[in-house]
Amino acid sequence: MPGGTQRRLTAAAFLIPGLTILVVFVGWPMVSALRLSFTDASGFGAENFVGLDNYVRVFTDPDILQSIGNTALYSVLFTPLAVIVALLLAVALNNPRLPWRGFFRTTLFLPFIVSLAVAAFAWQYLLDPQIGLLNYWLRGAGISLGNVLQDPALAMPTVVLVAVWKNFGFYMVIFLAGLQDIPGSLYEAAKMDGANAWRRFTNITLPQLSNTLAFVGIVALIAALQAFDQIYVLTGGGPYRSTQTVVMEIYESGFKDLDLGFASALSYVLLIATLILSLVQFGFAGRREKDAS
Amino acid sequence: MSHTLETPADASSGRTPRSTRSTRSARGGSRSTRPGGATAGRVETPARKKARQRSLVLRGISLVVFLAATFFLLLPIIIIVFTAFKPTSEVNAFPPTLVPTEWTFDNFTRIFTELPFARLIANSFVFAGGVTICALVFDSLVAYALARIDFRGKNVLLIAIIASLMIPFQATLIPVYQLVSDLGWVNTFAALIIPRAADAFGIFFLRQFFVSLPRDLDSAARIDGASEWRVFRSVVLPNAVPALLTLAIFTFVNNWNDLLWPLVFTTDSEMGTITSGLTLLTGPGGIIPYGVMMAGSLIAVLPLAIMFLFVQRRFIESVATTGLK
Amino acid sequence: MRKLLATLAVAVTATAALAGCSTSSSSTDSNGHIDLTFWHGYTEADGKVLDGIVDDYNKSQDKVTIKTQVKTWDVIDDTLLTALSANKGPQIVAMPAERLPVYASKKALANLDDFYADDKNAAEISEQAAAMETVDGAKYGVPTGFVPLSVFYNKTLFEAAGVTEFPETWDEWVDAAKKLTVDQDGDGTPEQYGLALADHATVGNGVWPSLFAGNGGEIVDDSKSVIDSPENVETLEYWSKALNDDKISPTGLDGVATDKLFSSGKAAMTIGGPWMASVSTENKIDYGIAAIPAGPVAQASSGIGVSMAVTAQASPEEQKAAQDFFSYFFSKDVATEWSLGSGWPPLRTDVPAADVSSNPVVASLTDISSTTKALLPGVINSTDVLSAMDEVTQKAMAGGDPNELLGSASTAIDKALKD
Repeated sequence: MPGGTQRRLTAAAFLIPGLTILVVFVGWPMVSALRLSFTDASGFGAENFVGLDNYVRVFTDPDILQSIGNTALYSVLFTPLAVIVALLLAVALNNPRLPWRGFFRTTLFLPFIVSLAVAAFAWQYLLDPQIGLLNYWLRGAGISLGNVLQDPALAMPTVVLVAVWKNFGFYMVIFLAGLQDIPGSLYEAAKMDGANAWRRFTNITLPQLSNTLAFVGIVALIAALQAFDQIYVLTGGGPYRSTQTVVMEIYESGFKDLDLGFASALSYVLLIATLILSLVQFGFAGRREKDAS
Repeated sequence: MSHTLETPADASSGRTPRSTRSTRSARGGSRSTRPGGATAGRVETPARKKARQRSLVLRGISLVVFLAATFFLLLPIIIIVFTAFKPTSEVNAFPPTLVPTEWTFDNFTRIFTELPFARLIANSFVFAGGVTICALVFDSLVAYALARIDFRGKNVLLIAIIASLMIPFQATLIPVYQLVSDLGWVNTFAALIIPRAADAFGIFFLRQFFVSLPRDLDSAARIDGASEWRVFRSVVLPNAVPALLTLAIFTFVNNWNDLLWPLVFTTDSEMGTITSGLTLLTGPGGIIPYGVMMAGSLIAVLPLAIMFLFVQRRFIESVATTGLK
Repeated sequence: MRKLLATLAVAVTATAALAGCSTSSSSTDSNGHIDLTFWHGYTEADGKVLDGIVDDYNKSQDKVTIKTQVKTWDVIDDTLLTALSANKGPQIVAMPAERLPVYASKKALANLDDFYADDKNAAEISEQAAAMETVDGAKYGVPTGFVPLSVFYNKTLFEAAGVTEFPETWDEWVDAAKKLTVDQDGDGTPEQYGLALADHATVGNGVWPSLFAGNGGEIVDDSKSVIDSPENVETLEYWSKALNDDKISPTGLDGVATDKLFSSGKAAMTIGGPWMASVSTENKIDYGIAAIPAGPVAQASSGIGVSMAVTAQASPEEQKAAQDFFSYFFSKDVATEWSLGSGWPPLRTDVPAADVSSNPVVASLTDISSTTKALLPGVINSTDVLSAMDEVTQKAMAGGDPNELLGSASTAIDKALKD
C-alpha cells in the first residue's frame, strides 16, 4: 500500500479537531462516571469505594427491575412504530404527484420543533378526562375516552404515541434526505419492467435506503432506551410506576436522592445493554450495507 | 394511520395505465418538481384522457387524506397557537374551546414585559447557532475520515463514537460541569458551545451519508491528483447538502429547545436562553400561566419554523444542482 | 464552497470572541467585605418582595452584600448538585422543605444549631415550621414559608346549591359535596363535582397526610412506618366510598389536575396552597378559603414549607454573614413585610393576624394556621415514602383494598427509611 503513512496523517488531520472535543467532553466524563459507579459518591464531599454494590442493587432492586421492564416495553413499541410512520410519510411526501409537498413537509415537522413542555400542555389539554377537548368532542358522539394517562394499562401506549408524534418528523426528514440520493434511473428502469409501487418500494427504496434505515433504527432505539423527559412531563412515571423508565431512575437517584454512584452504575448497565442491542441491529444492517454499495 | 396516508399517493403511480408510462419517464421520475398529470401528453386519446382524469381524482383524494391526517397530527400545535391568544380564564374553562371566543394579545405583552426577551433570543441564537456551526465543521471532518479514508482501527473508532451516544447525559452532566467549571467557563458562551462543538450523533449521521455516496464520484477526482481535502470539499460536501442541512436543523432545534444545559452552565440571568428563560414564568405551586407560556413558545419556535421552511426548499434545489442524479 | 467555509470560519471566531468577552469576573474579598449568592425560587411578586428585603439588608450594613438569583424550585433542584460538585454553589439556597433533609444528610448544608441557640429572632420561629429544618436532631435551615393546606371553594356554586355554611366535619363536608355534585343527564358521570380530591402527587404531597391525621393516623413515627394503622384503613375506606359511591370527586387526579378542575368551575371545592387565591381570581372564580374540615379525631392540615439554608461550602465568615441575614429576615418588621408580600402566614408566632389583615388571604390563612403540621419532618428519603403513599391512595380510590395496600406500602416505607 503506497502512501500508507501519508494516508494515516491525512486521516489524523480530519479526525483530530472533532475527536479532541469528544475525548475531553464526552470520553473523560464517561470515564469519571465509570469510576463513580464503584463508589457511594453524592457528587460533592467524600466518596467511598463500594465495589460492585451499586451493580448488585441494579439487578436486585424490584423497582429498578420494573423500570428496566418498562423501558424494554417502551422501546419495543416506540422504535418500529416511529421508524415505520416516518418512512411511510417520507415516501409519500417524496412523491412528486402529491400537491403542496412543501406545506406538508413543513407542517409535519412542527411537532419536532416545539418544546416539550409546550407539547405536554397541548396533549393534556386534549386528553384530560374531565375538561379535555378530545373527551369533550367524543362525549358529544357518545364515546368516553377515559383517563388514558392514569390508567395502568393505557398509560404506556399513550406516552408511546405522544413520543412518536413528537419525533417522527425528524426521522421523516432524515428519510427524505436519504431518498434524495436514490438515482431516479432505478425507478425508471423498474417501471419499464412493469414493477408496481410496492415492488419498487421493496426492491429499490428499501435497499437503497439501508444506510439511512440502519442509522434511523439505531438512533430511534437509543432514544427509546433513554426515554425520559417526554414521559416525565406527561405521567411522571405513573400510574403506579407503570411508565417509570431506567433514565427516570437514573435522574431520580442522581439528582433527587444525591446517589450519583448508583446513578452511574445504572447508566453503565443501560449503555452495555444498548450497545449489545445496537450491535445486533447494526450487524444486520452492516451486511446489507455491503450489498448496497 | 400511515397506511391510509401512503396508499392513495402510491396507488396513483402504481395503477397508472401503461400508455402514460413513456411520458412519465420523460419527466424524470420521482424527483421532478413539476406538476404531474396536467403536463402529460399533448395529443389526448380518449384512453389517455380517462387516465389523466383518474390520476387527478386520485391526487385529489390523496390531498384530502393528507390534509385530514395533517390536521389531526397538528391538533396539539393548533391548540398551542390558539391558547396563546386566550385569556387565562378561557384556557382553563369548561367546556374547552379550540378557537378563542375572546381574543387577546395580553399574553404577548406579558412576555415582553416580564422577560428580557431580546437578550434571551440573542443568546439562543449564539448558543444554538454556535453549536450548529462548530458541529457541522468538526462532525463532517471526522465523518469523512470514517467513511472515505482507510486506516487501521476505523471500525473500532466508529463503534466507540456510537457507544458514547448510549450513556444517558444525566450520568455525565456532573463530570462535564466540573471540567467546564475548572476551565473557568461557567456563565460564558464557551461553556454552552464548546462541549458540544463535536457530537457523536452528527458524526454517525454524516458518516452514514458519506458512505452512501457513489465512490466513482471521487475516484475521478483522485485520478486527477486531487488531495483528500479537495475531494472532501469539492466532491463530497456539495453532494451531501441535504444531509448537512438535516443535521444543521437537528442540532439547532435540539440546542434551541434544550432546557437543562443552559440552566446548568449559566446562573446569570443575562446569559439565559429563551427556553430556559420561559421557565421563570412558572408561578408558586408550579402553576404555569399557560396562555403566556404558549405565547412565549410561539415566538420562540418561529425562528425554527422559518429556518425549516427555508431548508426544506433547499432540499429540492440542492438535488437539482448537484448533478449527482 | 470556499465562501461557505470562510463564513464558517468567521462565525467560529466570532463565537469564540463572544465567549471570551462574556467571561464573568468573580468578585474577590477586599478589606473583609463579604459577597454572598442566594438562590431562591420565588418567581412572582413574592420574589420582588424578597429581593427588596435583601436590598434593604445590603443597605442596612456595609460588611455583607447578598446577590439573589431566581430559578424555579425544580431548576434549583437540578442545578444545585452540579454547582456543589464543582464547589461553585451559592452560599444561601432556598428549597422546598422536603428537599432539605436529603442535602443535609449528604453534608451539603451547614449546621445552624448555634444560630437557633443564640439568636433572639430565631427563638420566635414557630415550632412546627422549625421542625421542617431538623435532621438527625440538628437544625440545617430556617423556614421562609410554612402554610397550611386549605380548602378553596367556589362561592357561586355554593350559592346555587344552597349550601350556606362551610362544613366543619368530614360528614358535613361529604354532604355538602354531594349537594354540589350534579349529574344532570344521569349517566353516572357528573358534569359538576362537589370536590376535586387528588389521589396522588397532591399539592405539597399534603392532602393525604392531612386526611390521615384527621382520623388520628400517621405515616412515619420514630423512623418507622405506621401507615398501616387501622385509623388509616378507615380513612381510605371513608373517602373511597365518598368518591366511588357518591361520586363527589373524580378519581385519578393529581394536584395540578385538581387546580385545573377548580379553575374551570367544574369542581366546587379543592384543597390547595395559597396561590390558588390568585389563580382563582385570574380564572374569574369568586372563591372563599376555609380550613380542611375536622376528621373524627382532629382538625389537621399538612403544611407546605420552604426552607433556606447555608451551604457547607461557604467559608466560616460567609456562614456567619448568612446567619446575620437570617436574623434580619426574622426580625419582626421584616417577617411581617415578608408575610404580606409572599401571601403566606407570618413565620413568627408573635405576629398576630391583625398585623397582616391588610392582606385578606394571609389573614384567613393565619387564622387557620395553628393546626398546621410539618410533612414528614426529618425524613431523608421522603421521595420514596411519598411515592409509596401515593400508590396506596391512588389504588385505594380506584377501588383497591385499603388494608392490603397499606400493608405493602408499609413494607416499602420501612425499606425507604432504612436506606
